[in-house]
Amino acid sequence: MVWYVTVFCFYIIFLIWANVKSLKTAESVDDYTTGGHRMGLLLGIGTTAATWVSVASVVGVPGYLYSSGVAAVIGWVAGWCFGGGLIPIVAYKIRRPEKPARTFPEYIRHRFEPFQKKSTLQAIVGILMFIGYLLLVNIQVTGFGIVFSSITGIDYKLAIFGFLLFILITSVGGFWSVAATDTLNTILITVGVLLASGVIWSLTGGLGNIVETLATTTAPTIEGGPPLEEGILLSPLGTFGLGALFSIFISNSLGTPSSPHWVTRMLAPKNVKVAIMQVMGTILVLIFIMGPLIIIGLGAKVLIPSIPAGKTTDYIIPLVIQEFTPPIIGGITLVAICAAAISTANSMLLHCATSLYYDVYLNISSKRISDRKFKNWLRLSIFAIAAVAVVLAIKPPWFLAMGFVYIYGGFGAAFFLVVILGLYWKRMNRAGAYAGITIGAVVYVVAKAMGYTVPFVIAVAASLIGVLIAVYSTKKAPLEAYEPYFKAEISDATRRVLNDVRNSSHEESQVKAGQSKIG
Amino acid sequence: MVIAMMTWVGTMVFSLLLGTLLCYKVEKSGVKRWGANGKLFKYK
Repeated sequence: MVWYVTVFCFYIIFLIWANVKSLKTAESVDDYTTGGHRMGLLLGIGTTAATWVSVASVVGVPGYLYSSGVAAVIGWVAGWCFGGGLIPIVAYKIRRPEKPARTFPEYIRHRFEPFQKKSTLQAIVGILMFIGYLLLVNIQVTGFGIVFSSITGIDYKLAIFGFLLFILITSVGGFWSVAATDTLNTILITVGVLLASGVIWSLTGGLGNIVETLATTTAPTIEGGPPLEEGILLSPLGTFGLGALFSIFISNSLGTPSSPHWVTRMLAPKNVKVAIMQVMGTILVLIFIMGPLIIIGLGAKVLIPSIPAGKTTDYIIPLVIQEFTPPIIGGITLVAICAAAISTANSMLLHCATSLYYDVYLNISSKRISDRKFKNWLRLSIFAIAAVAVVLAIKPPWFLAMGFVYIYGGFGAAFFLVVILGLYWKRMNRAGAYAGITIGAVVYVVAKAMGYTVPFVIAVAASLIGVLIAVYSTKKAPLEAYEPYFKAEISDATRRVLNDVRNSSHEESQVKAGQSKIG
Repeated sequence: MVIAMMTWVGTMVFSLLLGTLLCYKVEKSGVKRWGANGKLFKYK
């Protein structure tokens, strides 16, 4: 307990230091939302890896490895990796404009409604993003609560309110604050899971013993539950079945490159190449996080054959770490898991608040406000949304990793075609975007509610049909809409339209000359 | 177990190859603003 609290205190001191430092960097709205489109490679890898590794990865995935076996590697680890591999396809085009969009809905506006004074499409996307990210933050709060209550012994319902303190600290400086703390979080997460997996490896006697146990165990996942089929934990389909595993893989993979926070991440690097290399570097870093998590999740079955009744599989990591690792390693690992929750949540809260305030409110009201006012309102929105997410987490609605699958599936169903076709097909137009987003979102929710195994595939197929009908029955997209994503040099008319869109919702301040390049 | 791990390794190899191809395309474009600077993985 003393070790856990000591490590936690050091972590809080670092967060405060990093945020005070990054406050001095955040100057304009561009800085606050996308780091001024000038992020370097190393900081980019740090923040991308930390956002990638959420509680769904460090708590949820080991839980599924424990209960369903190696199939979770295909569904989540490989699914996210494949989806991550597709992000550079988006980065290659979306970072091309000299002045890129600040947010994902603003990109949608640039590409499909550049002439509208008030963009309905931007507002619709903003609202969908707000709903999705509120639920994703809720998942992070739940994971944080599970770990924080395990460390401190405080009741879960009280522990989740500790999350607000961290959000207050990490969100004041906007994107730079998020990126700076994320980079340390990545180091902390990597060290934490490497140390913990080393202990698990040593206690279980290595991979041979883990595989032998998985091949023969029939111990139920939860004490008193039905016994497992022998060998099922080593089967590629695990306890899921082909349809369910395919659905998990496809939602995680195709949902990733069209998830608004990943698209926005690709707007932050200083150029196209840095954006691409940022993802490649992250995939290499993740080997040292996902590999240990696989060992911990599978090794847990050797150490704790069944979870005590009344707990879910999301508790397996705290249980293993508290019972089997030395206090200092346990402290670092559990703080690392909290760091994963915080680093993903603060990034998502920033997107959530920005979409609601910038893409919905300022867009529809056509108000013009100063940079300072913009940032203050955004900070207030972030804290208010975090408070709502905490209240919603009092009764967690789902398993952490599966909640991610549902929301990534929803984002993919609504945005996959709009993002990919918008960047690679000049003919893609405003009507196609409306059709793609509405049909994709509605069909996904209906298919999910009706219990179909592959709602994502059904929704994207329906959305594609709708897009093709809408695009070919209406006028081609104007040059001003697609030119920045297809040409290195744009026409004066396009430049004028883009400037109008950027300046329509707030007054741009004079950005100081010679801005530092960070990262 | 082998199938699961090979699926992960396969997706990693795919991701790195696709990223390399896109870096090559940036270089081939010759557009400095996009990051073209004469070397495939040079980013500064």
